[in-house]
Amino acid sequence: MNPYIPVIIVLIFGVLLGSILSGLAAFLGPKKYLKEKMDPYECGVPKVTSGSEKMSVKFYLTAILFILFDIETVFLYLWARTFDQLGWLGVVEVAMFVLVLVVGYIYVLKRGALEWD
Amino acid sequence: MEALNLMPEILFYIISGMVLVSSVMVVASRNPITSAIFLVVDLFFVAALYASLGADFTAAVQVLVYAGAIVVLFVFVIMLLNLKPEALRGFRFTVGEALVLLITLTGFVIIATELAHAPPDIASPGNLGAAAIELAGGNTFVVGMRMFTAFLWPFEIASVLILLAIVACVMVAKKDKKSGLKGHIQSSGGN
Amino acid sequence: MNLGVDLTFLEFLASLPALVEWNDFTVGLVAFAVKFAILVGGLLQLPPLLVWIERRVPALMQRRRGPNRVGFFKWRLYGLMQSLADTIKLIFKEEVVPDGAHKVFYHLAPVFCVFPAFLVACAIPYGPDLLVFGHKIPLSVVRLDVGFLFILAISSLAVYGVSLAGWASNNKYSLMGSLRASAQMISYEIPLGMSLIPIVLIYGTLDLGKIVEAQTSLIHWGVFAAPFSFMIFLICMFAETNRAPFDLAEAEGELVAGFHTEYNSAKFAAFFLGEYVSMFVLSCLAATVFFGGWQVPFVPYETIVALAGSPNIAALAGIMMLLLKASFFMWVYIWVRWTLPRFRYDQLMSLGWKFMLPIGLANVVGTAVVLAVLRFK
Repeated sequence: MNPYIPVIIVLIFGVLLGSILSGLAAFLGPKKYLKEKMDPYECGVPKVTSGSEKMSVKFYLTAILFILFDIETVFLYLWARTFDQLGWLGVVEVAMFVLVLVVGYIYVLKRGALEWD
Repeated sequence: MEALNLMPEILFYIISGMVLVSSVMVVASRNPITSAIFLVVDLFFVAALYASLGADFTAAVQVLVYAGAIVVLFVFVIMLLNLKPEALRGFRFTVGEALVLLITLTGFVIIATELAHAPPDIASPGNLGAAAIELAGGNTFVVGMRMFTAFLWPFEIASVLILLAIVACVMVAKKDKKSGLKGHIQSSGGN
Repeated sequence: MNLGVDLTFLEFLASLPALVEWNDFTVGLVAFAVKFAILVGGLLQLPPLLVWIERRVPALMQRRRGPNRVGFFKWRLYGLMQSLADTIKLIFKEEVVPDGAHKVFYHLAPVFCVFPAFLVACAIPYGPDLLVFGHKIPLSVVRLDVGFLFILAISSLAVYGVSLAGWASNNKYSLMGSLRASAQMISYEIPLGMSLIPIVLIYGTLDLGKIVEAQTSLIHWGVFAAPFSFMIFLICMFAETNRAPFDLAEAEGELVAGFHTEYNSAKFAAFFLGEYVSMFVLSCLAATVFFGGWQVPFVPYETIVALAGSPNIAALAGIMMLLLKASFFMWVYIWVRWTLPRFRYDQLMSLGWKFMLPIGLANVVGTAVVLAVLRFK
């Protein structure tokens, strides 16, 4: 049996469980509409600014750097699995790979792209 | 027991169906966040397709990198720009989009014809069947060995590519060194 | 198959096993169902229990009493029933969906928080193989060749629950909290992934079951083989689950409650469930990778099998051992929460990107060089 069939079953179950919990709230419990109650929370006063503010570009930068380093991690996993068979050759190959990325990392650091203020 | 033997095929058609449905939903939904979430579902089912073919590593990476990283960026960008459905126009082809569609279709046709005329050992599982891979040390191991021997140069070039991407994204996000990050994207009503 | 009228239901149940042809497939199927049911049943007990612990423990630390009233008649059980009462209350509360919320994603966000946690919990090896009627049954619900990558991949999906919750709520606190939380989660995912690479280098496999089997004695434990990895992993554990000192997403003083500000009733409980299950999973993972998993310290598995006379009793001991080790890490979670103050967001991000990432990379390269010198001469 393909080992991923249990994964799919568990996935379906997990989604169902989440939906049941999420749905329980909608079916049980009282329902009473009150304009004030349904306002988004703002410490008791009427809403001052909307919930859809423009967000800082820093989050975008974080996300894109995350993708790039994530890909690097995946490559490193591949190498780690074949480490014993590749020997020093593998170490040198990955050292070159990492070196190029360290240059990129230092550039990011020097440009101050990781500063949050 | 006949049903069990047919299971991989049934599974294949179910998963492919899900991939197609979610792909259509990505393009058809009006809300960009809906599109992004359907893209996650889509990529997840593509990963399931890989897994059902015995390509564990590709499946895991598909979820890790595409569903878990790249679409996160999409979601961030959608939140960042706060795109509202009404701000977006519906289905209307521009010249550029038509061109993209044309190129995609051409690529698809080329790949399909290449696959149809490929030597049998690529088109059919044959010597790369699940049992053979299992015997050779598992999917991850086989991919790793190929990557670090036969495909060494593409691997090293990938690092340069990632470096370029890092530099480019920092250049775009951060115009000059002194003023710090250009805090917010300027647009009407932005803070 | 003849179902007579005089056949009682129990007799029918007892006759069921004889009707099935028992081969590896059917045994695997039944074993999967049983394991899965037990695991899910156990995991659903976690949040009430942990909420209780998380209220009693700080009470102890701060010389307060904590919940101690709710109980049955005169048995108060140290307030254990408080959690039950809270759960019932949460489920029957009115659900307040804020005006302007995106309905679909508001309901969908808790789902995205729950299912990755359960999926990852299924990949943990909870004990050595059981032996039932001559069939070997591994004690993880799914056993995969790409164990580590599967866990990393699935847990990376939890970001959507957080970011959707904030986006769909139409509340600026929610949105800020969710953006902070998701940026934090992805930032610490890289050092988390990197901290496990030395483990793969050392044990040569991505299969969690095999990693546990390799940690036969204390010196082979991951924590001694790769101490830096353990430290990085430990820090990332807190950041990935948005727990103190990294609970910036729900910094009460500034963001009310972060991404789940607008959530209440059973949906709020769903977020709790997701958070506690992923805490448990990461604790189990830490125990599995760094502290020998189900291996009992000082007593090799073979000795236990020989002493107990059956691999099933050894498996039971293994499960107990893993749960013991995991509960230690759960305790650390709570301990740290009530000990360390919260970080500032810029400190958190620079810790992740300027400290953890280079250290993680250096750890990988250093381990590789040392191992290469040792192994390849």
